[in-house]
Amino acid sequence: MSDITRNILERIGRLQAGRDTASNTRRLRIFLSVLVVFMLVFPFLPFVNNYWVDVGFLVGIYALLGLSLNIILGEVGLFNLGQAAFYAIGAYTTAILYNQFNIPILLLLPISALVAGGFAYLVASPIIHLRGDYLCIVTIGIGEIVRITALNNPFGLTNGANGITGIGNPNFGLFAIRTPTQFYYYIWIIVALVILGLINLQKSRVGRAWNYIREDEIAAEANGIDVRHYKLIAFVLGTALAGIAGNIYGSKFMIISPSNFTFMESCLLFVIVLLGGLGSIPGNLLGAAIVVIFPEIFRQFASYRLLFFGAALVIMMVFRPEGILPRRRERGGFNGLGISKIPKDEDALLARAVENAATIAPAQAAAPAPVTARGGGRLSDGSFVLETQHVNMQFGGLMAVSQFDLKVREGQITSLIGPNGAGKTTLFNVITGIYHPSSGKVIFAGEDITSLKPHQIISRGIARTFQNIRLFPSLTCIENVMSGAHCHAHSGLFPSIFHAPGQQREERRILDLASYRLHQVGLWEYRNELAKNLPYGKQKVLEIARALASGPKLLVLDEPSSGLNDAETEELMGLLNKLLAEGFTLLLIEHDMNVVMGISDSVTVMEMGSKVAEDLPDKIYNNPKVIEAYLGKEE
Amino acid sequence: MKKKLVGFFSILVSLSLVLAGCAAPGASTSETIKIGLQAPLTGDFAAEGQWAQQSVEVAAELLNKKGGVLGKQIEIVVVDDASNPKDSALAAQKVIAQGLQQVIASYGSSVTAPAADLYDANKVVSVGYGCTAVRLTMDKQRPYFFRTAGRDDTQSEFFVKFATETLGAKRIAIMHDNQDYGKGVADDAMKFMQPKIDAGEVEIVYFDAITPGESDYSTVVSQIKSLNPDVWFYTAYYSEAALLLKQARDAGVTSIFVGNNSVPTPEFEKIAGVAAIKDSIHLNEPMPQFLAYPESKEFLDAYKAKYNELPGSIWAVYAADALNALAAAITKAGSTDPDQVTSAMRSMTDAKGITGPLLFTDRGDRKDIPYYAYVYNDQGVLELYSK
Amino acid sequence: MDMLLEQLINGLAIGSFYALVAIGYSMVYGVMKLINFAHGDLFTLGSYLGYTLLVVGSGWITSTFGVWGGVVVAVLGAMLGAGAAGLLLERVAYSPVYKAGRLPLVVSALGASIFISNGIMAVWGPRFQAYPVESIPTGSIMLFGDIRITTLKLVTILVSLALMAIIYFVVERTLFGSAVRASALDREAATIMGIDFRKIILFVFFVGPALGGLAGVFAGLNYNRIIFNLGWGYGLKAFTAVILGGIGNIPGAMLGGLLLGMMEALFEGFVSGAWKNVFVFVILIVILIVRPTGIIGEKIAEKV
Repeated sequence: MSDITRNILERIGRLQAGRDTASNTRRLRIFLSVLVVFMLVFPFLPFVNNYWVDVGFLVGIYALLGLSLNIILGEVGLFNLGQAAFYAIGAYTTAILYNQFNIPILLLLPISALVAGGFAYLVASPIIHLRGDYLCIVTIGIGEIVRITALNNPFGLTNGANGITGIGNPNFGLFAIRTPTQFYYYIWIIVALVILGLINLQKSRVGRAWNYIREDEIAAEANGIDVRHYKLIAFVLGTALAGIAGNIYGSKFMIISPSNFTFMESCLLFVIVLLGGLGSIPGNLLGAAIVVIFPEIFRQFASYRLLFFGAALVIMMVFRPEGILPRRRERGGFNGLGISKIPKDEDALLARAVENAATIAPAQAAAPAPVTARGGGRLSDGSFVLETQHVNMQFGGLMAVSQFDLKVREGQITSLIGPNGAGKTTLFNVITGIYHPSSGKVIFAGEDITSLKPHQIISRGIARTFQNIRLFPSLTCIENVMSGAHCHAHSGLFPSIFHAPGQQREERRILDLASYRLHQVGLWEYRNELAKNLPYGKQKVLEIARALASGPKLLVLDEPSSGLNDAETEELMGLLNKLLAEGFTLLLIEHDMNVVMGISDSVTVMEMGSKVAEDLPDKIYNNPKVIEAYLGKEE
Repeated sequence: MKKKLVGFFSILVSLSLVLAGCAAPGASTSETIKIGLQAPLTGDFAAEGQWAQQSVEVAAELLNKKGGVLGKQIEIVVVDDASNPKDSALAAQKVIAQGLQQVIASYGSSVTAPAADLYDANKVVSVGYGCTAVRLTMDKQRPYFFRTAGRDDTQSEFFVKFATETLGAKRIAIMHDNQDYGKGVADDAMKFMQPKIDAGEVEIVYFDAITPGESDYSTVVSQIKSLNPDVWFYTAYYSEAALLLKQARDAGVTSIFVGNNSVPTPEFEKIAGVAAIKDSIHLNEPMPQFLAYPESKEFLDAYKAKYNELPGSIWAVYAADALNALAAAITKAGSTDPDQVTSAMRSMTDAKGITGPLLFTDRGDRKDIPYYAYVYNDQGVLELYSK
Repeated sequence: MDMLLEQLINGLAIGSFYALVAIGYSMVYGVMKLINFAHGDLFTLGSYLGYTLLVVGSGWITSTFGVWGGVVVAVLGAMLGAGAAGLLLERVAYSPVYKAGRLPLVVSALGASIFISNGIMAVWGPRFQAYPVESIPTGSIMLFGDIRITTLKLVTILVSLALMAIIYFVVERTLFGSAVRASALDREAATIMGIDFRKIILFVFFVGPALGGLAGVFAGLNYNRIIFNLGWGYGLKAFTAVILGGIGNIPGAMLGGLLLGMMEALFEGFVSGAWKNVFVFVILIVILIVRPTGIIGEKIAEKV
């Protein structure tokens, strides 16, 4: 056993020991209940006057704003430095509609959310695909556009720099929310409701999809996540919450002006999310408390306050970049997945899953070709499940793939070989929709999939792995594998928020499937470990398990054996043969000739983007053109 | 586990005691009258806040030397509103929580508004010193709100009269910064100018905003140069005014520059330089150094003795006068009861301040604030303008 | 027509400041993939260092070296100071955070920005400072007949264009420059090829801030007024310029800066000052929709 593996096993042992004593959870529960009681009685504590109650209210507002940005930045990883714009839109919607049409403030609460979210949808749709820093400047720009527009008083609506005064209080019939204490409870009730919804959402197909995108956008798309769709959901939901915060802020202070919604405000929200920890709800609350209370307490040191704050941010990022209270996924076990009615004992769950393997992971195709026929078979045997027809892929002046016809027969293992830079991975990317070919067609199971996106292609039945491992490093192994099942599940935003019965059924099915696949590749014991903590060889296998979870007809593996030692390679070949027996069709890029010759049914050779040869493995071995491609022409 | 819980609660309790120590009204001795001062000690207008604090403290010392108010010494309690509306509301809650009944608040109209509402709702008499927007007193009645500074429209009205009658200008440029104050003055100037525009006597050749905080204003300067107005009125703060004026003179703009009451400050002179500010005209309530009342001299001498300079802006002096007005009203009412103090404020006839008589209208505005035009001479020193 | 020309020259002057600041942003982004939010504050620091050099000993430098000599000394001093601060910044705030990922790095940069600007406030005070009049070169010349421009402004434009040309030459045409570009493209591969990455980092964190410091001194000389948060606005605009041109790409930063300056001048001059920044950001967004990697940013297919 290598040192690394031992180290990891020890770590897992420690973690499980920590879980088993359960004292952690109990302590946490006690702490939480003390906190909740404290917050409930806070306004009535002897030292608390209206000033401190208002500070408590502001912590609530910033907690809500922090949570709203956390969805966008923390869960999905979209750099949004313009959240104040949507906060402003909520506040202005409330102020304008209240003053012009006297619509009740409470009714304006959902309206503000809708307007803020709707505006976000309109502006985000054309730009949501932008890469991190480009999105960052665009959101800064949106923040400035909204603020300056409010300043310029278009159509006399926003009253310019003066802002809008005379916003009313929220009221339920005769009872109006007016005093600081009432507002304190009002905001915290809303924050509590939002938190309940978000916790459910985090532990659902939607929340996991967001995290997959944050961890690796391309891998997420290739594993069936409609990246654009989920980014937009997050953006709209997050900004709608900011709109709600705007409504509450306006009704509390009864006056809003553009100076409430500056770029600094957006930065502050950014800091709340990062200070607490990405995607961590408790961290978020703590971040909000720090950002609001810190300056209040240090008001005496007015001129040095921000100096300390800046230094504290840097120090914090140097020594604890994951935030103060990061979300600890590896601690919760399957309990942390938020799925009800699953066996307490995870091994029992696995046993059940394995027993029902036939129903949860049905065999893929008709019976595979008999083993004896393989290797010795003829090329015309079987039907083509995948065909590329005259595929060209051009980058600038470089023709990476040219006029390529690849044929993959159902129930066989096809290998694609060729020297480095021959264009093999590019061809894989064309097949799986990451690139769209300059010309030519890709036909899969009789359907033209040339112009489909990766997440559509995986749902048609092509799953892949990557040459350089692309797992979701900060998610657990089981969560990684569950991503594969995403494309065959359907629960949307609202069932996920409420953990509706149908959604829970679906989640149980996904968990069973993922458990089965994880077990199948021999990684069950690592199920609750973060993917990034696995040794290299295991990570490669985990990627295969993830692809299997999508129940593909065709499995496309990009150099599965690279970086593996002999024993691991041996195991891999065993696994591939098992998969073949189960009915999967396999397409490999492979450099290890032992693997290629040992398991392939047919081999296609590629050089400089073109097909050099296609034949049975032993014939390829002696093909002069292939030898030339690999060793150079003999003079 | 129980031990830990006990530990946690004892921490909680001791923490609350500490906080209580910070937040509860300090041991109030009956010998002092506490008056709040809400000012922007941090943020964009930190300098104004610090000047206001210095001025109010000097004024309090003068009052205390004369035996205080109702035989009690005055104590100033300062809270910071960071020059933004949200902190302003918090600062007001702090003042209210301390049980103060009178407060001087604050600088900036949109900062003052939320605080004034809270003070009003909690029956705390508040007197503004750096808030000049018309709406503060006119769009609704706030019974407990007053201000010692004049209103934007007084200044704008004066500008229109001055520019058209004294200077005889026909082509006028009005430039603001799209902020609360500058935009207010500019809009009001436009309003008072309207009859003359309709009559064809005056043409507004330029009405637009610059972006505050930038350094290079050559674009607008080029526009002004090509329009070549008779008078160029800039309605916002000194630092942009200094840059505009300097860059305009460098580019050869010869139009008469008119600044408002927040332009002529030491910073303005330093940034623009003597060559640029020469002959520029500034509309103002009486500047601190031109105040000729005995009270002004006494105050300015005391201020200079303590800080070795004059107050940096007129707003700081208005803050001092806010204290004087409150002191006079408390004396007249014979009590610090907010209702009695407000009615005393409205009915004062002989209260004298540093900036002149302290008289207030029913809506809380200062009565009879005079305006003057000042001009920089060749040495870069302000003089009263005379044609 | 004259007006158009005049506004274009105004835009060129504004844009050359943006471009100088933008180069520093772009260089750092290129090799670190980091938006160095503190870059604008290093610009401010340069401006204050130049100010301090010029006022020390009641203008000793100016009276010894003459007005232009004083300017040269102040500029060199500020460049050295800002460059050194840039190196320190990288050591303290970025290098230890680098392995933690992009987001912590951004927060660290935000923190550093807040720290530097407030540190400047603590040292030099919160109020505006003005460059001493005696140290500022005077005089102006007429261009194209009737456009008056100060000599200083002309020198500013020429110096920044010259510096941009030099940087362009170094980065695009020398061996060291190709090492910088290689590191920007693929850090690992560049290291394997024997490029000393540490050296590249030192280079960009010295040269970028030094250029910013130079721009800071020229801003102080041209506009007199400096304040502790001066760099924030320049930083934001320079960052916009970088994205506009194509991030991590030096000519893109220059083009973006100049273009941004001229667009601002034309829009403010002929349409509206109040809506200027709205216009700038709308244009930016439209350009990014059409060309997601900026005007001359190359479309890079992400390695899969």
